[in-house]
Order: sequence, then structure tokens, then C-alpha cells
Amino acid sequence: MDIYVLARYPFLSEAKEVVRRENVRTEEILHDPIYERARDIGRQRVTDALEEGVVGSYPVASETDALMNIFSYPIARMIVASVGHPYFRGRYALAEAKRAYEFLQGESQDFLLQVARELEVAVDDDLRLHFADYLRHAPTRSQRWKLVNMPLSQGWLSLEHRELARVLQNAIQHRLFEELRDMRPPSEISNVFRGEVTAIRNTLQQREMREKAEMGEASVTKLPPCMRMLLAAIQTGANVPHVGRFTLVSFLNAIGMETEEILNLFAASPDFDRERTRYQIEHITGKVSGTDYTPPSCASIKTWGLCPTDKMDAICRRVNHPLSYYRIKGRRRK
Amino acid sequence: MTTWLQEQFRRYYTRPRIRFPDRFPRREYALVPFEEQHMQRHLAVKTREDLQSLLERRVPAHIYYSSAYYETPDAPTMAEKGWMGADLIFDLDADHLPGAGGMSYPEMLAAVKQEMIKLLDFLQEDFGFEEADLAVYFSGGRGYHCHVTDARVQTLGSQERREIVDYITGRGLDTQSLLQEKTVYRQGNITQTSLEMPLPDEPGWRGKISREIIRFFQSLLDAPEEEALQQLTQFEGIGPKTARTIYQGLTPQRIQRMRQGKFDQFPYIKKMAPHLIRRSAVELRGEPDEPVTADVKRLIRLPGSLHGKTGLRVEHVPLGYIDQFDPLVDAVVFDDSPVALTLKKGTAISMKNRSFDLQPGSHTVPAHLAVLLVGRGLATVDS
Repeated sequence: MDIYVLARYPFLSEAKEVVRRENVRTEEILHDPIYERARDIGRQRVTDALEEGVVGSYPVASETDALMNIFSYPIARMIVASVGHPYFRGRYALAEAKRAYEFLQGESQDFLLQVARELEVAVDDDLRLHFADYLRHAPTRSQRWKLVNMPLSQGWLSLEHRELARVLQNAIQHRLFEELRDMRPPSEISNVFRGEVTAIRNTLQQREMREKAEMGEASVTKLPPCMRMLLAAIQTGANVPHVGRFTLVSFLNAIGMETEEILNLFAASPDFDRERTRYQIEHITGKVSGTDYTPPSCASIKTWGLCPTDKMDAICRRVNHPLSYYRIKGRRRK
Repeated sequence: MTTWLQEQFRRYYTRPRIRFPDRFPRREYALVPFEEQHMQRHLAVKTREDLQSLLERRVPAHIYYSSAYYETPDAPTMAEKGWMGADLIFDLDADHLPGAGGMSYPEMLAAVKQEMIKLLDFLQEDFGFEEADLAVYFSGGRGYHCHVTDARVQTLGSQERREIVDYITGRGLDTQSLLQEKTVYRQGNITQTSLEMPLPDEPGWRGKISREIIRFFQSLLDAPEEEALQQLTQFEGIGPKTARTIYQGLTPQRIQRMRQGKFDQFPYIKKMAPHLIRRSAVELRGEPDEPVTADVKRLIRLPGSLHGKTGLRVEHVPLGYIDQFDPLVDAVVFDDSPVALTLKKGTAISMKNRSFDLQPGSHTVPAHLAVLLVGRGLATVDS
């Protein structure tokens, strides 16, 4: 593959092969003035991911530029890995994948097929995708992308060029995230990029604090309609299916309510049994089972028939997750 | 103390016909004994003989295995078990069918079987699963299970499985784009629109809906007028007058136009579409609103074991035999030897093609019927 093309997709194995063939030591990449430009672009990749959520495209006017772009990618990955923050790993993987998507839209079908094969996404020669890989990677949370609305036949579904590129974006994101998760950066890296790594950690910490502040004191008034409905049902002693209880308790736990607080909310129920309920709550919040369940998304809540579609409001329509609703509502009240 | 029912099960489990799940040593087993209602979980077996001896020793009323396979199936928590993958399981039960309340047991079983046939069409035609990766079982109770063992789906997570459930139940289907108003002619302020529908040979739900619409109108055309009108008025928002208009406008030519994706001036279809969609979808709801298939670690009855409330076997139904399959013949394991019992409640049932209409009181019935009646708590055996 052309080195200019590889500069757009530095995560492909062929690009990695280019780096390997140059046969340079990590030390040189980190210190040698020849790689100064690669280090700069590497820093830029990481900053773009943090600030913009998408890695930019940097000018590639010569073969050297292309090579520096390719080298910048492993450098960026080492920086991300030494930040050592799971959320940031995810954000970086997404930002690289989004950049790739912008380029992929303009590539040939053959090229898309080639990328798909490398990512182990099953695509046949007619650009048809196997549904299992479609489900793994397509953004099925939006109605347009739901499998039920796709032309599925004999296990395969055909996509338009742009749609396939979009699915590949997610496949790239998943692949990069997995790679980053397993990566152990050389200790050298934190010396060379100490400034960057510290700055990123600080920014992330500030963001987290801001989010926590937005979340504020756990408050029932910020609950989305589905949770309000479930809570009311439990308080009036109506029969709430297990998934309903699970949805509500995992949600209340996620917004920072303690077992006792949740118990007090449920105490209004006419058939309230404190010890039994405590056991159930602690099972969901992880105190008994050892698994701390995250609350389900809007898609799951809809599938379970727990979304009161007639009570949906403007915020509901903007979000995919009840926690986002809760956060937005908190922001508005200030 | 061993009860009569337990004794019958014990005899079966000395020589059961178990169908072992793939990778059976990686599965978790769970059983419910006769003496108590509590389920004992986290059991594991290493060999076929282990499982055989578990059945012989414990003689369970119900026995299950996990659809998931694990690194350590007998570990007490999910985290320690180490999830490796899970079969895709569809559990169709009479409880999930609308109107099952008014049906007799055989009627329920027949209705669920029809849903299973619909499901199989989805699994084979839409999802392209091979026959070798599909296994259908009568549950021994009031439903049917379908196990899918295609390696490509075994590692799917629960969000992805939910998409499969949504596909099969038609949930989230974008009905608006299925029937679209297209402008066919415009001059000045005269606009002519035509309602377009998908073509019958389109892939996915579009073709499915198209075929259902054509099939429905063809059956109206073929039916006597009275019956056709009655069918039409069953739709919400269609009165006798509208029904007549629709019926009179229905011609072979019009159905031919439908095959080409044209509805022309036929606004009523919009009212009917949701109902026609429901007919194509499978009724697949688990415990109140719980989509069983999306669960990546559910317990499912062990094929070849007995259902504690009926004594019927969890029976494999070959795909080519499903039409003829009759659970009240094919899943019966106990013999005809006479058993004297006292019936608490009147019962009408047909087993092994023999009909019984029994009043409360003393009777002598074949052993297989006795097991079913005692299992359900409708009778006690005279000692």
C-alpha cells in the first residue's frame, strides 16, 4: 500500500510494518531530532482527542511527512497508555476512529473490503456484512440503524458505501481500544512526555470534578420519566417486574444514593419488607454479588417495555441513557 | 419419604435419554428437587457418567443447564465463573401468547408451535442459520425452546442479542418508511400522489410486510364476501361502510399492482399496516416483559429430562417433523399400565391419541396420564 495512504490509517498492520522495517529503537524515536516532527504530531493527536474528540489530519506533502505521520501514531499511543486513564483510552480510540471515518468515505470499495478483513469484520464481495459483525459494530441505538430496519437476508445485509465506512469506524474504535488496554508503555515515555501526561491527567481530573458537581446531591426531582414511573409503581405496591426493580435500583445507585436512602424511598410500599429489600438492593449494587451493575440504556429500557413513551419530554429525545437525562436536568436547574 | 411420582421419575432416570449440550462440562447445572422448591445452582459435571449419576442419585423434579459456557462452571459468582460465550436461546411459552387464557392445554401447545414455525422462518431465511446449528425442543410444559449454536453468535453480548429479539418481534420497525406517499404528477395546483409499498422480494422486513399485505388481500379476494367484510371490520377504525369500499375496490389487477409496489389510492392500508406487521412478528416475551433471549447466562431445561409438573420429556423436535409433532404423543415416556387415583378436579385431555373426560372422583388411568395429573397437583394416587 502507498505510504501516503498508510499515513491516513497508521493503525493498519501494514503501517505498523513500515515502522518495524525502519528498524529504529524506541530511544531514537523519543530523542533523535530526526523524529522531532513525529513527536510533535504525536502530541497533537493526543491533544486533538482530548480537546476536539477527533484527531485532525495533518499536512502530508512529502514522503517524509507521510512517514512522520505514521511514526506519530505509536508515539501518541504510548502517551495515552502512560496517562493510564480508562476513560481517556476510550476517548482516544474514538477520536482516531472518527478521523479514519472521514478518510474512509472517500476510498474505493476494494479498500473498504481490505480494511474490513483486517478488522475481522465479515464482508463478502458484494459488500454485504454478516449480521453478527453488524451487531458488534453498528450504532444500533438509533432507530435508523436497528437491525429490524436493515435488509437482512440469509444472515447477510448490504450497506451503502458510507454506511459500511461508519460501521468500520466503530470496528476501528473497538480494535484500538483493545490494543490500548493491553499496552504497557516503556517507562522512558513518561520522562520524555512528562509535561503532556501531567497536563492531560489534570484536565481529566477537572472534568470529572465538574461532572460530579453537575450530578450534585442525589435528587428525586431530576429523575427521568421512566424512573419516576418505576418509583411510583414500587411506592404504591404495584407489581413491578424484576427488570424494573433492577433498572431503578441500579440507576439510584449510579446517581450516588446509598442503600439506606434507597430503602427509605421504597418504604412507602404497602408490602415493604426491609431486610428482603435490602438484600435485593445490595445484590444489584454489588455489595452481595460482587458485580456492580451499570444502569441500562434507553434502548434496553424500551425493549423491556419500561419506557413511558407518552411521558417522554424534550430531554428524553436528546439522550440515549437515563443518566444523561439526570445530568442535563441538573445542569438546567442551576 | 419417596412419593409415587418420585418413584416414576427414579425409574426413568435409571435409563434416561439425555441429549448432551455441546461442551457439556463447561456448563452450569441447576436442579429443583421434589422435596423443596429451592433451586440448587452452580453444579458442574466432568463426564457423561457424572451427569448420569447426578440424575440417578438426585432424581430431580426439574433440571436445567446454562446457555452460557464458562471457564469454571461451578464457581459461585458470575465473575469467578468466567463467561466464555452462550448459545442463543428462544423460549416460547403459552404465557406470552395473547388470548392463551381461554385455551385448553392442547390448543395452547398448538398455538405456541405455530409461533415456533414463524420463528424458524426468521432464523433460517433472515438470519441464515444452518439446520445443524438449530435445535427445537418441546419444553415438557407449555412451550417450545429453540437453541442456536452458531459460533458467530455465541460471543454476542446482551445488547446485540436484544437487537435479534427486536428483529424477530418487529420492535422498533420504522413503519413510516415502509409505506410512502410519492408524488407522481404535479401541474399547477393539481397534485397526484401514489402510496408505495415495498416489493415482495425485498430482503428483510420490507419484503416480509409486502408479502403479508399481498397474502392478506389475496385471501380477502378469494373469500366469500361475508367473510371478507367480517375480516376487514376486525381492524380498528374500519367500519362496515369502509370495509365495503375496500372490498369493492379489490380486484386481481389491484393485487398485481401491489406486487409491483403500488398501492395507488388506498389510504386504508395505513390503518391496517400495524396489525399486519403484528401477524408477521413472533410473540416472544418472557417473564413480565423480560426478553429471555437477550440474557447471556440463562438456565434452560436439559433435553431428555422430565418436566416435574407433567412427566413429559423435554423432547427434541426434528425440523422436518415439527408440523406432525404432537407433544401429547411424542413426549410421553411412561407406559399404559393402570394406576388407580382420586381426581380433585374434572379434567378433559387427550394423550397418546386417547381422549379422557374425567369427573372428580376415583379412576383408573394409564400411568402417563397419572403422572401428569399428579404432577400438576390435580390428583393423588390411591395406595
